[in-house]
Amino acid sequence: MTEEDLKQRIADRMPQCGVAVPKPGRLIASVPRDGLLSLLHLLKADGFEHLALISCVDWIEEGELELVYHLWSQETKVHAMAKTRISRDSPRFLSIIPLFRHAQTYERELHEMFGITFDGNPRLVPMLLDHWQGIPPMRKEFDLRRHAKETFGVEERAG
Amino acid sequence: MNEPQAPAAAESATRELQMFFGPQHVGMVGNFGIVLTVEGDTVVRARANPGYLHRGFEKLMEYRTYMQNFPLVCRLNVMDPDPNEALYAMAVEDLAGLEVPDRARYIRTVVLELSRVSSHLLWMWAYGNLLGFDTLGQWTMGDRDYVLDLFEMLTGGRVYHTYIWPGGVRRDLPPGFADKAYQVLDHLESMLPEYDTLFFNNRLFADRTRGVATLGRDEAVAMGVTGPNLRATGARVDTRIDEPYAAYGALDFEVPTMSDGDSYARAVVVRLEVEQSLSIVRQALKEMPGGPAWTRTPNPFKWEVPAGETYVKVESARGEAGLYVVSDGSDKPRRAHLRGPSYPTGILVLERLLRGASLSDVGHIMLSLNVAAPEIDR
Amino acid sequence: MDRGDILKTLKAPANWGRKYSLWAVYFCTGCGIIEIPPVITSRWDAERFGVIPMATPRQGNLFLITGYVSLKTLGAIIRTYDQMLDPKYVVGFGSCPVNGGMYWDSYNTIKHLDKYIPVDGWISGCMPRPEAIFVAVTHLWTLIDKGLADGYKKYKDNYEYYCENQRRVLPHLGKFAGGAETETAAAPATLRMPP
Repeated sequence: MTEEDLKQRIADRMPQCGVAVPKPGRLIASVPRDGLLSLLHLLKADGFEHLALISCVDWIEEGELELVYHLWSQETKVHAMAKTRISRDSPRFLSIIPLFRHAQTYERELHEMFGITFDGNPRLVPMLLDHWQGIPPMRKEFDLRRHAKETFGVEERAG
Repeated sequence: MNEPQAPAAAESATRELQMFFGPQHVGMVGNFGIVLTVEGDTVVRARANPGYLHRGFEKLMEYRTYMQNFPLVCRLNVMDPDPNEALYAMAVEDLAGLEVPDRARYIRTVVLELSRVSSHLLWMWAYGNLLGFDTLGQWTMGDRDYVLDLFEMLTGGRVYHTYIWPGGVRRDLPPGFADKAYQVLDHLESMLPEYDTLFFNNRLFADRTRGVATLGRDEAVAMGVTGPNLRATGARVDTRIDEPYAAYGALDFEVPTMSDGDSYARAVVVRLEVEQSLSIVRQALKEMPGGPAWTRTPNPFKWEVPAGETYVKVESARGEAGLYVVSDGSDKPRRAHLRGPSYPTGILVLERLLRGASLSDVGHIMLSLNVAAPEIDR
Repeated sequence: MDRGDILKTLKAPANWGRKYSLWAVYFCTGCGIIEIPPVITSRWDAERFGVIPMATPRQGNLFLITGYVSLKTLGAIIRTYDQMLDPKYVVGFGSCPVNGGMYWDSYNTIKHLDKYIPVDGWISGCMPRPEAIFVAVTHLWTLIDKGLADGYKKYKDNYEYYCENQRRVLPHLGKFAGGAETETAAAPATLRMPP
């Protein structure tokens, strides 16, 4: 099955999904949030057994967080990115642990870095940050340089 | 005659204790912690305790220009830094549409495989130590230093090279490099049988590690495992052949696999990979094409990479290392997400394999999975 | 021989013993740790300088802080340092303990190690070479001979100062928060979300 075949299969079964093949070996599929789980089921059934990464991109200007699920198919040697967008205010999404067991760790990190709650994840406790008191640090409104100056007294010097 | 009283059922002779393995522990390689609940000598429950090395790498990358990120990325994993440089270079090349000349591809292959060898030799030191074979480490660390000498000759630095840059590599091979490299390769290849006699063919090593911490193939795939840990379960999965980069597509090498998925199998896969890596370096040096070693990039001080997104991956010593970059057309990355191969293995797989393990095996199980804490914490 | 000379002669063997058996506590604090295995193995051989790795802080007298120090690691470093017996020497290895190094603007690393524990010497570099470690060891010998490697005394004399700095970044540390402190931090009730 080539990338084009895959693209066609997804388009046929999920018309609300926007699919693109940016280059050989890559597939990008975007859905509204309530379609993501079906998309992941579809991809997994088509051989995308390996969940490589769950990323989040903060589009603060648009008021949205973009979740990107990276899957790999060893059979067809294609890396797929299944994307959806959720609101930045009180972000909440479904956990995909029933599909991919180790999603637990990625979701746990997104919870502490972006503040997203994943319903169904039993372990949304801090992993990388220790007694962190501020806002989730990967969010764009967290000003890194200002925080460094206030907390540690360091600031950038030009020249 | 009085019978000795058997202890009442409620007061059992053993009780559960919580112990902290790491971060300050002679058996902990790297800055990582595992909270163990033990009953006698058996681990009942293990909870990984990461975060000791968290620097906010990805946030830092958003505040640095593409040029300023270049010396930062290799510091992601100190034990195997060059794959991270390659990831960053490949991602930026993808976004900016840069072509890498063939000579640079071959030089990158040499550097990446030498990095793999140095990582595996360091691993042998740590793994041997945790099993009580201290001599192996004395030999491998000594030999690893010759590889670091090569890096120093090529890049100026022993550990952090800042050498693989978008568009190629930073400078061409210095005169005499190939000869020195062949000397080092000859020496390492002559030492491999010595390591085997000392450790890999040693009955004690097999007795300690056979059947310990076994991971099945399906379970490994379901838990996101890649690299030697997955190849030890029988799956022939390797980014160098699945999605070739650098010069791997043109070179001839094997990808060793074992089928048992236990600690022994993982160690043997690593040992066989060292041999393959030395052979790859030899081929790459011999078949090194001429031509430039880099493509000119736009002015790095004012480089605005075109908007877009990309995911690139390489086979680091521990498995699939990935980088997801989103660019918004400015001079800094909008989002850079690094995937370390130790991320799935260091938390969930480690916790699963430690359950029921003997306390004396805890350190070596963590090492057999080649968990690198900086890749998890970033 | 007057009283001062007698004391000097009696002290000399003690310093001689201390400096020629600097046992480094085995704690891989940051990425600088990568040059420690070469230093303690066959090629560089730190043992000829008397430096060997020591498993427990109870029997170590040299604390090499190798590389950057995250906030969580700082808590472990303070606890380890407090467990070491006097006299004890701290050496900051790498640029990161000096001024934050590559991670000068990170939200999770400290920038000046000597605010939190006393440091007797620094080795700059990113990554320092094994030779730099040996030069630092010889400098430390000189400091020990002259009685200038007195970080441990400074710590006790200025304990309030160090604790105040520690408390500012680690208010939850056991000795400030009181009561038992677990390694695995409990989740805060809610993560503070922006308004």
